[in-house]
Amino acid sequence: MTGEIATVYVVDDDSAMRDSIEFLVSSVGYQCQSYASAEAFLEVFKAGEAACLVLDVRMPKMGGLELQRVLAGQGATLGLVFVTGHGDIPMAVTAMRGGAVDFLEKPFNDQRLLDCINEALRYSMRMTNAAKCRAAVVTRLAQLTARERDVLDLVMAGKPNKVIALTLDLSVKTVEVHRSKVMEKMAVMSVAELACCVNLAK
Amino acid sequence: MTIRTVGHTFLALIILLLHASAVCAAEAVRVGVFSYQGAERAESDWASTFKHLRKTLPQYSFYAMPGDLKTLTDDVAANRLDFIITNPGHYVELEAEYGAARIATVEIQGGPVPSEAVGAVIFTRAARTDIASLHDLRGKRLAAVAAETFGFRQAWREMLKEGVDPFSNLAELSFTGFPVKRVVDAVRDGTSDAGVVRTCVLEEMVAKGLARADEFHVVAAHTIPGLGCQTSTRLYPDWPFVKLSHTSATLAKQVARALLSMPVEANRQDWTVPVDYHSVLDLYYDLQIGPYEILRQHSLANILWSYRYWLTLLALSLIWWIIHVLRVEHLIRKRTRELHEANQKARLRREELEHASRLSLVGEMAGSLAHEISQPLAAIANYARGCERRMQQGGDQAEILHGVRQIAAQAERGGEVVRNMRSFVRKRQPFLCRLDPDLLISDTLALFAPLAERRNVLIELEPHDSLPAVAADKLQLEEVLLNLLQNAADAIEGKPEGKISIRASSAGGVVEIGIADTGPGLDDEAMRRLFETFFTTKPQGLGLGLSLSRSIIESHGGRLWAENIPGGGALFRFTLPVAKG
Repeated sequence: MTGEIATVYVVDDDSAMRDSIEFLVSSVGYQCQSYASAEAFLEVFKAGEAACLVLDVRMPKMGGLELQRVLAGQGATLGLVFVTGHGDIPMAVTAMRGGAVDFLEKPFNDQRLLDCINEALRYSMRMTNAAKCRAAVVTRLAQLTARERDVLDLVMAGKPNKVIALTLDLSVKTVEVHRSKVMEKMAVMSVAELACCVNLAK
Repeated sequence: MTIRTVGHTFLALIILLLHASAVCAAEAVRVGVFSYQGAERAESDWASTFKHLRKTLPQYSFYAMPGDLKTLTDDVAANRLDFIITNPGHYVELEAEYGAARIATVEIQGGPVPSEAVGAVIFTRAARTDIASLHDLRGKRLAAVAAETFGFRQAWREMLKEGVDPFSNLAELSFTGFPVKRVVDAVRDGTSDAGVVRTCVLEEMVAKGLARADEFHVVAAHTIPGLGCQTSTRLYPDWPFVKLSHTSATLAKQVARALLSMPVEANRQDWTVPVDYHSVLDLYYDLQIGPYEILRQHSLANILWSYRYWLTLLALSLIWWIIHVLRVEHLIRKRTRELHEANQKARLRREELEHASRLSLVGEMAGSLAHEISQPLAAIANYARGCERRMQQGGDQAEILHGVRQIAAQAERGGEVVRNMRSFVRKRQPFLCRLDPDLLISDTLALFAPLAERRNVLIELEPHDSLPAVAADKLQLEEVLLNLLQNAADAIEGKPEGKISIRASSAGGVVEIGIADTGPGLDDEAMRRLFETFFTTKPQGLGLGLSLSRSIIESHGGRLWAENIPGGGALFRFTLPVAKG
């Protein structure tokens, strides 16, 4: 746990369901916000937040699975837990393929739900951090000059400085300068770290 | 010695030999004589003829060979005779069988013409006035000498013409055998009602004093001029002198010439040229005997042959008719079978659909029920767990109270779901009309008939008095009745003697209808819970039928209850108030 209070969102058209989940979840100290529809949730949700979303599969208008697709399209890094009154296997498969943490059938065991919420939050945080890291790398890469970019590509291809110099028709000295600039701008200490960063951005 | 001399000598020798044989050994000529009155009588009858032949043809020795018909016929067959004197009947038989040929016919000088000289009389005692015509012989007793005699055959022909077959229409036909006197005696002493003899027999007996002139009466008598005797039949040619097939033409010619030249003697008998014997053949033809026996044997075939075109047509029509009938029969059977199969298929299809809709209804209801119920249940669980955690943590009383209230509220919501379910299945308001209970029963039975037929269920509608109309929703009541019938049919499933009876009665302002079955009846638990929703004893049952039926009946202001019939079976009864006004 990160220490900060993680938010658990609940989207269910049934008010009793919403309220009871909120009641249960808040008993273990999570901050809980519930919405009666997918549309209402989307209005207030900002991508990039690490949070858990407990959502009903079957709802009037936008259903749970569709909301999952919309969120994925927005690059949301939420941990999703589906709950349903009468789920079937194709539904569960679609949900899990879309990155859901679990697919629970009502009525469910409270501990199971809480465990899922926990896992979803951890997953969301991991995803959020990765997304943040990726965003940083992309920002840094954007700061590189064209020449530095060329050198970076060749370094990533595992070429020694001499070969890079020959390829780019530069002196070895110049290549070394560019290379150190790249390491500096990308805020990495080693080639291995650099490679990890660049791969993250791909 | 010349050849010429030798020839002369040889010729002379042959002539001498021939002459010697003719003179020395007179050739025997055997003449058969039919003797119907004994051998001597036959000799004496034809004595003048033999005397004349012997005198005229001394080179032959004529022997009279008397015999009866059978003996003579055998002799002819064995070629033991050269000539034969016999009656015209016998002659035509010999002619047909052995190629005999007549060379002269006997003639009585001053008598009838030789072509119409022989007949027969059918006579009774003069006292018998009941036999006036040949027709009257039917059912009487008749005596004759023998079946083969010409006399009897003549009588036979005349009787047949009058519609009396002597072999089948008489009380008795007896043959006395020769001599003829036996026939006369049989009639005289009453052994027979009538007798058949040759013409002139009676007159001869009277002449000899053997019978009184008024003793007998001849049936269908007519007198032939010249004959001087009465006859009951037409007349036939007189006796012929017959040459047999092997007899040489020379001898026959000599004998014929001798006969024709025979002088008339005391018995006024001589011979004339042979007359036509066709009338005798006609008799044989009519009676289908002798040479025409073959007609009798093949008469059916002949008839068939002569009608062959009509018969063929008839046979063809018959065959066509049979084929037509068979074809129609076949088509009817085929169409009936097809119709039956189509019905069966349609029924099965309908049942499948019923079953499918029932199943899908079950699925849908189960699904929606699960969803509806799982929602409050899940909420209750969440609230309860939330409360539990808060209490363990010594949390806020107000929050716990909220949770507990919500638990109660959700439990009520669950109850509401179940109530809604029930009202969903009976939500249609009854549409009350005046309804004839008999019409309700008959229409429902019509609806149930296909199922009953398939499951081989016997339904009996017990007779009852006419029933007053009830105020009811026909569709809903049909549903109730169908439900009860279905239950009854299930109860007697697999019982070969199973039966459903429907009874109806009215009393005290209500009409009561009862459905009784001969099934196993209801056990205590079933009896207690019968009308509970979702209570069922059937593997595929939903447990809705009776509870729905009861609510329908109750919404009509009636009652539905069940009881066991002592001795087995269940009886479901419901009442409906009689319609007002």
